[in-house]
Amino acid sequence: MRRVELAVVGAGPAGLSAAIEAARHGVEVVVFDENQRPGGQLFKQIHKFFGSKEHRARERGFRIGEDLLKEARELNVTVELETVVSGIYDGLELVVTKNDRVEHLRANAVVIATGASENMIPFPGWTLPGVIGAGAAQTMCNLHGVKPGKNILMVGSGNVGVVVGLQLIQAGCSLEAVIDASPRVGGYGVHAAKIARTGVPFHLRHTIKEVYGKDRVEGAVIVEVDEKWQPVPGSEKDLKVDTVCMAVGLSPMYQLSKIAGCETVEDPSRGGVVPICDEYGATTVPGIYVAGDVSGIEEASSAMIGGKIAGASAALKQGYLAQDVFEERYAAFRKSLEQLRQGQFGHGMKGKKITHTQEGIEVSESLLCRGFVDESEILRFPGIPSEEIRMRGLTPVIECTQNIPCDPCREACVKGCIRIGESITDLPSLSKEVQCTGCGMCVAACPGQAIFLLNQNYSDGEALVVLPYEFQPLPEAGDEGTACDRSGNPVGKAKVLKVQKAKTMDGTAVLSMIVPRELAMTARFFRPSGSEERRA
Amino acid sequence: MAESNRRKAPEGEYVPKADDDLLICRCEEVSQGDIRRALHQGLRTMNEIKRETRLGMGLCQGQTCTRIARAFIARELGVAPGEVGLPTPRTPARPVPMTVIARDGIMDEAAGEGI
Amino acid sequence: MAETNDVIIIGGGVIGCSIAYYLTKKGIKPLVIEKREIGTGGSSRNGGGVRQSARDPRELPLAMHGVKNLWPGLSEELGSDVEYCQGGNLRMGKTEAHIKFLTAMVESQKKLGLELEMVDGDRVKEILPYASDSIIGASWCPTDGHGNPMLTTLAFYKKALEKGAEFIVGESVEDVIIRKGKVAGVRTDGGTYDAPLVINAAGVGARDIARKVGLDIPMQPRLVEVIVTDQQPVLFDQMLGTAGSDFYGHQSKHGSFVFGGMTGWEDREFYDHRQVTKSNTAPATCRAILDYFPWMERTNVVRAWSGILAVVADGVPVMGPAEELPGFYFASCFCGHGYGISPAVGEQMAELVAEGRSTLPLDAFRFDRFLPKN
Repeated sequence: MRRVELAVVGAGPAGLSAAIEAARHGVEVVVFDENQRPGGQLFKQIHKFFGSKEHRARERGFRIGEDLLKEARELNVTVELETVVSGIYDGLELVVTKNDRVEHLRANAVVIATGASENMIPFPGWTLPGVIGAGAAQTMCNLHGVKPGKNILMVGSGNVGVVVGLQLIQAGCSLEAVIDASPRVGGYGVHAAKIARTGVPFHLRHTIKEVYGKDRVEGAVIVEVDEKWQPVPGSEKDLKVDTVCMAVGLSPMYQLSKIAGCETVEDPSRGGVVPICDEYGATTVPGIYVAGDVSGIEEASSAMIGGKIAGASAALKQGYLAQDVFEERYAAFRKSLEQLRQGQFGHGMKGKKITHTQEGIEVSESLLCRGFVDESEILRFPGIPSEEIRMRGLTPVIECTQNIPCDPCREACVKGCIRIGESITDLPSLSKEVQCTGCGMCVAACPGQAIFLLNQNYSDGEALVVLPYEFQPLPEAGDEGTACDRSGNPVGKAKVLKVQKAKTMDGTAVLSMIVPRELAMTARFFRPSGSEERRA
Repeated sequence: MAESNRRKAPEGEYVPKADDDLLICRCEEVSQGDIRRALHQGLRTMNEIKRETRLGMGLCQGQTCTRIARAFIARELGVAPGEVGLPTPRTPARPVPMTVIARDGIMDEAAGEGI
Repeated sequence: MAETNDVIIIGGGVIGCSIAYYLTKKGIKPLVIEKREIGTGGSSRNGGGVRQSARDPRELPLAMHGVKNLWPGLSEELGSDVEYCQGGNLRMGKTEAHIKFLTAMVESQKKLGLELEMVDGDRVKEILPYASDSIIGASWCPTDGHGNPMLTTLAFYKKALEKGAEFIVGESVEDVIIRKGKVAGVRTDGGTYDAPLVINAAGVGARDIARKVGLDIPMQPRLVEVIVTDQQPVLFDQMLGTAGSDFYGHQSKHGSFVFGGMTGWEDREFYDHRQVTKSNTAPATCRAILDYFPWMERTNVVRAWSGILAVVADGVPVMGPAEELPGFYFASCFCGHGYGISPAVGEQMAELVAEGRSTLPLDAFRFDRFLPKN
């Protein structure tokens, strides 16, 4: 039987990172993945990541995937695609099948990085064609270039729901609404705000009552729920949609680990049933490690670090890594991981009601209930310059209001205008002496698309608003259109002054529009004339 | 003795509910009513319900319905999902044709190489 | 204060549930104590054969009685479909040695009153058009068949519950209580239950239970495996076996094929007492199946599982009272062929317990056979 030093199951962010880390220390690694393409979820993640530079913040997921693959290849990691690990037996024997070929091979160590599967909730009509997982919708749009539908309802306002929601709009679908049974938006506020300003309504405290249609989805009825999650009679709304995307959470794919004999535990904080593992990723079966979503649902950035830890553990086990070197690396990984787990969306925060930011600022209720920060609330956040500064000339306006581990804005500004405190989760603020050159790098760098530039005194009676723009077709200088507020409501006329594109902006165009001065703190979206009104 | 371990005769006939038709397991078409009837007759765990109704025994091997079913059974019984047990995932992790499984050790003599 | 019962049955498998049901028919409401879940051991891990052919002569009367008098009406009696299908049993042969072996088996069983015959390859094709041409003959017992063991176990359980039996599920028996030389009840990790009569129907755990009262059975666990395919059109209703014993099984009512098979090393496989599947068993099983049904090559296997047989040295169950310990009864060690006789075992054991004697003689199964002969 062929022996390999390390077999990794799953070529997603965790699996590839484990392979790279182990191979870096000399371990011979084979990675198996049942999909046609490696990278797991990374290749459909076209949005920019959060975190700091070491977490590859402001880079888009698929580029991170490409880099991981390149790195793996350079380290002679073998990546076997369309290959199913159908069983792991005693003695770390793997049975793998590819097309019609089967091989039994033995590994000295195994990293199981099988990821997660999408949750479903049953309601009348849930089995109709047109009810799909949000992840499936994302695969259709971003990998296969197929629109999942024309008019879409997103069920779930967690990060998957709001991120995929935006990508559906970018693909040209009409996102009719985002609903969530919870009273608050579950995902990052900045993600929600990106779709709210295009005019998508958020219906919180709403659940799906039924989906109807003859052979496929023709519409969905949503209904409000009370504090006890019971439907409120008479609150039904009928939405004419042809597709319902379910973004109601992920479940770790623990099955293979259990087949391999790993003990599992029910842990709601990690997303459900997960293999029992220690801080090194070691399961109850000697030689088998887990990393990524299978060991607990988190972001891809955390999965990559988890993978490195498991990869280093596998290298240590086989003597490729000295104990002290391992401990040094492990400490660094752990520190990086802990950074990502900070903040109001971090570990142990699920379900907790936040009333104030860590700076002591009252949180935006509007953001939590409607998906955008209301103009009346925005001024209290530290990234908003005073009117005096706004009248003096161009300045960043940073509408970042939640404590998320993320800091690309600080580095993006060559003039050092943007500051973040000791903690990576601190809200960004502006330095006293703003010297904005209008380069737009901070606008393009912010993964939350929450940074705008503003000159409230652009001309007599006019203000200049600079905003991130990721829709096609890209407007051109001189185009006229409508300025919309943070909720997508049209508030006045706007004229495009210029559209900046640069390689370093990585696909985020920076659009400058001229609006009436009184809209300086109101207008946050540009809708080209001729594009349809989203809201009645 | 833990009284919760005791199982006794069901009281009365099963009373159907309005949402009994709602499917929980798509592959094997197991409905909420099927599960409720089994619970009424004295079955209590995921595995018992699985054996009675074929819940999760179809092509996807419970990938989608296990979580939904556990939550539903737990809610009906008024316990935590962890208390109703977990079906055992089995090899092969994905369906494999017999001819492929059969070839271990005797396959690919011509090719002379592994995957 | 412990609660008092008439009878305690240790083990909520098909045997324990069947005895419980037949006891309730006699007006006795037993308490069944099950360590894990209902039907978790061999009762939900077997090929589902309801077979008389190739039975040990000592077991054959139970098997024939069950097929004649109990199985045909069982679904109706229990109010649940147990998927009993009397499609006959074909035990196929491919070589002259196979035919010789099968012929001897047929002859000896005919003498015991079982209706079965040897058939040639052409007749096999008539009975089972899907069989390969390489089959040159078979034993054919038209009254054999198969059922669904999981549904049968649960059907006995549900009916027993309905008729007043009670079940304690999730407690493990730690001790059998003896007072003044007689069985007085059991103590579990959850409580104490009094009863003057305790039936050991603990399946593969029966040896451990017996040892708690000093009685040992020469029984060893044996790990065997079954594969299940995806749903297919229903093609045949026979129970199948081979003279070479390389596979056996049937097609379920649902349409999936349920086939057990062997590597030949099963006797020595239960090394660390974990119930696992082995990487070489499913391939061996598939090869054996494809030898007989080449057209099944694209049929998908969706799962493989293992079960543990409680195999006794002389190959037949241990049933009836332990003479030296009044109140202690066995209904154990069915060696992998307990499912087919489970209704008969339940009925006869209930008679034995309720009336002191059973219609069919159970003497051949007495525990005493393993004791020194005085």
